[in-house]
Order: sequence, then C-alpha cells, then structure tokens
Amino acid sequence: MIIDIHAHIWRGRYETDKTEIVKACNLYGISKVYVSGLHSQYPDEAEIRELNGEVYRFMQEQPEVIGGFCYVSPRHPTALYTLQKGVEEMGMSGLKLWIAAFCDDPSVFKLVEKCISYDIPVLVHSFYKSNGNLTDETTGVNVANLARRYPEAKIIMAHLGGNCYHGIKAVKYHKNIWVDISGSPFRRDDVDYTVEQLGAERILFGTDMPGSYLVNAGQIEEAQLSLEQKDMIYYLNAKKILRLE
Amino acid sequence: MEGIDVNCLLGHWPFRKIRKCTFGDLRSVHAENDISTGLVSSLNSIFYNDPFEGDNELFDIIKSSGYKQVLTINPLLPGYAYDIKEGMKLFDIIGVRVYPGYHGYDLTDHRFETLCDILTSYDLPIFLTMRLEDERLEYIIEHKLMKLETLTGFLSNHTNLTTILLTIRNEELLYLKDILYSRPNVYYDTSGLKNQLFAIEKITDALGSKNLLYGSLHPLFCLKSTQLLVSKAVIGDQAKKDIFFENARGLFEL
Repeated sequence: MIIDIHAHIWRGRYETDKTEIVKACNLYGISKVYVSGLHSQYPDEAEIRELNGEVYRFMQEQPEVIGGFCYVSPRHPTALYTLQKGVEEMGMSGLKLWIAAFCDDPSVFKLVEKCISYDIPVLVHSFYKSNGNLTDETTGVNVANLARRYPEAKIIMAHLGGNCYHGIKAVKYHKNIWVDISGSPFRRDDVDYTVEQLGAERILFGTDMPGSYLVNAGQIEEAQLSLEQKDMIYYLNAKKILRLE
Repeated sequence: MEGIDVNCLLGHWPFRKIRKCTFGDLRSVHAENDISTGLVSSLNSIFYNDPFEGDNELFDIIKSSGYKQVLTINPLLPGYAYDIKEGMKLFDIIGVRVYPGYHGYDLTDHRFETLCDILTSYDLPIFLTMRLEDERLEYIIEHKLMKLETLTGFLSNHTNLTTILLTIRNEELLYLKDILYSRPNVYYDTSGLKNQLFAIEKITDALGSKNLLYGSLHPLFCLKSTQLLVSKAVIGDQAKKDIFFENARGLFEL
C-alpha cells in the first residue's frame, strides 16, 4: 500500500495534472493521494476558492484515490471559514500552508487551533534554500516554533525542510512534527539521514506530484530500511496521522 | 545485466556524509539494478590542487574491473594537456570530465576552448557537468550556473567534439532542442531528468531515445530513482535498451 501525503493541482492545469496523477496511480500502484491546489504566493480569496474547488472536484471524480488538503492563506479574514468549509463541507483531511506567511506568524494560530480541535494535520511547505528563500517562506526553524507553541498539533514539515540537514535538525526534538520526503531534492542519503535522526515512525511518503513520483519511490527503495520501516513510511504513519482505518 | 551507467563517481564529497562511497558499494548497487559497468570519475579530483593525483587513486581502485575511467580536467591549471596524454596512456581513459560551475570558468574562456580543441584532435568525448547538487541545497560553495545561451554557443562552435551533458534538466534540454537536432554527437544522461512526472517519456517524445544515456550520479543522487524512471517509463522496449546500454555501447565502443 502507498499513501502519497503531498501532491498538487496547479491552477490552470486541472486536466493535465489530474490526468497525470491518475495515470501515475494506475501505473505505480498508488493507493491514495492527498492533493492541494496552488498557484500564486499571495493569492486573493477568489483564487483560494477556485483552488479548493478544483481539489474538491478531483475528490468527487476520483473518490477512491484522491483526498484533499484545504489550502488557506492565513492573511485572509476568511481564512478560518475557508478551513471550516474545506473540512466540514468538502471532507478535506488537513490544512495546507504554503508561502503566503511564515507558519509561526500569529495569523496562523487560529487555524492551527482549529486543526487541533478537528484532530487533523497541518501540512507546511518548508524549504531552506542556500541561494535565497522567498519572503515569508517557512523553514524548519519556523516549523519548530509552531510545534513548540502547539505541542498538541499534528504538524507535517514538507520536503524534509528542503535541505534535510537544516530542516531535520531544527525539528528533531519536537515529537509532534512529522516530515514528508516530497519534492525535487534527489540525494541518495536524505532518507537514511532522516531515519537516523527522527526514526522511521516520523516520516511520511509524499511526492509533490505532478513534480515527481519515481524519484521519491527510488529514495525509499535504495535507503537502508527494513520492510517494517518501508511500510511505516509508505502508508502506516499516514494512516495513523490521518486516522484512517 | 547489461546496463551501463555513464555518470558515477568515487571518492570524498566534503559537504555531507556519503554512506555508499566505496567501489564495492557502487558495484553492489549496480548489480542490484542490472547495471554491468560504469564510467567513473574521481570526486577527489574536483577538489585536489592537482586533479591527476585523484585520478591516480581512482585508477588503483577500478583497474581490471571492467569499469572505465573518465579523467577530470580543470583547464585553468597548467599542465593539463600532458595529463590527458598520460591519462590516455596509463588509464585508458574514455573521455574527459569538466566542472565549469565549480572550477569557476565560462565556456567561452579561451583556456576551455583550447581544451576542446585538444579533445577534438584526440577524438575524446567531453563530459560536461551541469551540476552535482540541487542549487538550493549547496553548502559553503555555490557552483556557478551554466547559462544556456553560452551552452548553445559552445555546442554550435564545437561540432566535431562529442559531448555528454551530465545532470541536465528536462527544461534545459528542451531549451536546447534546436541545436540538439543538428548535433547528433551530443548526448545527455538521465540523472537530472527528475522534476516532473513522466520525465523520460516527455524527453523521448521531444528528442527521441538515441542520444539519451543512463546515468545515475551515484553516490550523490539516488541511483534507484533514475533506474525506476527508465524501467517504468511508458516507452518501447527498444527505447529502454537504447537508454540503458545500446547508446553507450555504440558511443564508447564497450
């Protein structure tokens, strides 16, 4: 079984992304993919509505394989309503935060508190870039700050924090942070390093589809993992954090 | 086991711990992935003041193994032309690998031009390294990105020099599409074709399979990822054979 916790539909690419993701599920035997919609760094409210609407449409069209994370810009006065609608009306499984605000910005707090009350995870884009981060782009340090403030929140730091040597060290001692391996860093040792630092039980399988899939699957297959550890990463940890049975 | 890996490295990478860094590790991961041999360069040679010392070390490790050596050259250093001659004689090198982004020169630098002329005269291929890490993940040293306009100019000017572009990305290859159509002796490897679904399918659709070579960038990148990209690609069996070994076998007379 494979659960991909981190994939996207990009605005203006609905049919293309949908077709590729469904094709990948069929070809590679992916059981479930959790998708969020993305486009601009500072989306307006209409864009957020459109993106979540497309994710919901995808969930409706492919209910067996597609789940959703509700994308919210914490800057919007309607942010909490957007999350409520995504979870309660659209059946989405978590909150997605991207690059509109640091994840430890006070505007995020009410959203995280709501996620705690729903018992759903917060998936946070996180990427430390040696060649320069975007304004408001979260790194592992911000994720650790959020986890410290809300130890009862279930937080997923995406992309291993970008550069795992930066991200993993920042969040290592916060047990309410899981990490996903999604994205385009292709290094051979990232998964082994993360298992050594955090243990396999805090790692989730993700891909950033349509960005990649086999790259991430190859990283799991080549890492020095037992079958039990692979199962944890491929799906068991996701089932636990999403309360799937 | 028939695969040929045209992009593997041995030695020390000073920026992070490399867990699978020995020749035994390389052979083991190759065997697990149906790869029978590889073209290997020295990681040490990138950093040594005298790169040839790294190639001497590499030769001692891989001699008599069936693996082939690709000599590292920094054309800004004196004496490299002699190193090439020595490399041909002592190591039976299969080509020369360069790292402009790390050694700090542009493809229009006259010293690089001279190197290209020497290689053309020997009919030795050049292995042009586009990157060794994702640019966003570098530590201490940031390599200089190669400008695609400059690369286009280089490919236009050196039509008789067989060139292998290593760890090039999909979008970079598509940018070079026109010049690649006119340069049948320019090849590229798979190690950088990773940042989108169905990357191999898209590249073979656009450029065919005859100039695409299997390359992993082991041990820096994950070999299994590139192996899966090709083996699971929805392309014909002949195209997979081309990529995994037939193109390299013909090009390097292996």
